[in-house]
Amino acid sequence: MKIKLELFGASRDFSDKDHIEIEIEGKASLDDLRNEIIKYLDKNFKGNENFIKIVKSSAFCSENNEIISDNYKIINDQKISIIPPIGGG
Amino acid sequence: MLHTKIIDSKKEKILISNAEKFIKDSKFGASIYFLGTVRNINDNKTVTGITYDTHDEMVIKSFEEIYYEADQKLDIKDKAVFIEHAKGHLNLGEVSIIIAVACKHRDQAYLLSRFIIEEIKKRSPIWKKENYENEESEWLKGNPIMGKQV
Repeated sequence: MKIKLELFGASRDFSDKDHIEIEIEGKASLDDLRNEIIKYLDKNFKGNENFIKIVKSSAFCSENNEIISDNYKIINDQKISIIPPIGGG
Repeated sequence: MLHTKIIDSKKEKILISNAEKFIKDSKFGASIYFLGTVRNINDNKTVTGITYDTHDEMVIKSFEEIYYEADQKLDIKDKAVFIEHAKGHLNLGEVSIIIAVACKHRDQAYLLSRFIIEEIKKRSPIWKKENYENEESEWLKGNPIMGKQV
């Protein structure tokens, strides 16, 4: 499955584009996606610790604009947004 | 009555006059305008501007949820609320957020205005990147988003 991970806030530093593509084999949970993102960061940014911290402290949001839990099942190609810790106003 | 919008700073500015037009009604006796603006010092660093990032759909959804929750939690049914938040780069002193509220009485208006900004801080996916005088910049550490999970 192909996940289009839309980047926001501090995670925008993960790429020059506004998203990255993550490939996942078989059915997966959000937790599996988190691990695949960390693998991507290991490969492309030599395991940049600050980046990994961002992934671990982030929430994720579905195409329906809902915050998804760690046991959310990913069964199709889809777009997911990473939501790092927020602070507007 | 609710108005919400994300304002792209490359195309337009947040204007108090728009808020005034929206909330003005003779049935309301109290109006409050809250403005968030870009400050020049943060954590002893000289700030030259802030770049705001937003997840537009979720921000608008959170503004709507906050408005409807105010009905239940504060029991203020009759009200006008105007919320706009900027995205993109803002210079010092520029307005990043406006929350304009109008209610029948002042105690309701103060309560509602404060409720909205505090909930936005907890729930609306908005991020700030501070720009400094030496051309460096840094994403500010925020707080994990609060809200329902599916």
